[in-house]
Amino acid sequence: MGQKHVLITFNRVPYGSIFYTEGLRAAVGVTSGIDEHTVDLLYLGDGVNFCLKDVDRTDSARYLTTLAAQDVNLKAEKEALQDRNIAESELADDVEVVSRSQALELICKADVTIDF
Amino acid sequence: MSNLYLVDQPYGGNGVNLAVQDSDAVVVLIQDGVYLDVSGLSGAGRTVYAVKRDVERRGLESRVPSTVKRIGFDELVDLIEANKVVNFA
Repeated sequence: MGQKHVLITFNRVPYGSIFYTEGLRAAVGVTSGIDEHTVDLLYLGDGVNFCLKDVDRTDSARYLTTLAAQDVNLKAEKEALQDRNIAESELADDVEVVSRSQALELICKADVTIDF
Repeated sequence: MSNLYLVDQPYGGNGVNLAVQDSDAVVVLIQDGVYLDVSGLSGAGRTVYAVKRDVERRGLESRVPSTVKRIGFDELVDLIEANKVVNFA
């Protein structure tokens, strides 16, 4: 099939469902096949709540560690943060804030998008 | 080939926000996505569709603007095959 670039979007708050960590598990899975697909992780809407530095990451840590080793970081949409009055200083260190137009670029760059 | 935004609830609004800025966007409201306010999309000149059955069953025929074109599942499949799907459903 050949290598593809996959964008995984996270749209739900953490701990209200399993989507927030299942998406990370899927991201690891995407990168670990023979084709070694590449991924971007994009937090939108309520999903940006996972990017707060005080979130308990116990059940996501191993996925995040594996992804960080491949230089995959968490991207949070700035407008979503602003809509929820979340300051960038409240975010975890491994979170990169991107504008909505940058988020759109990620969508256009991706061969496939998967939402969680 | 356009970016086909499939939009449902509870987080279809995230897709609508992006599609407003995406000059290449085609949006399809499916299931509870038909409740979303898409005036921003129409205002931005985007093509917006809604699954006819989902609009009718929710009694929204008079509330979903006429600018939103009603389609059946056959047309939806054609749209999916012809475009790159960006899923928020």
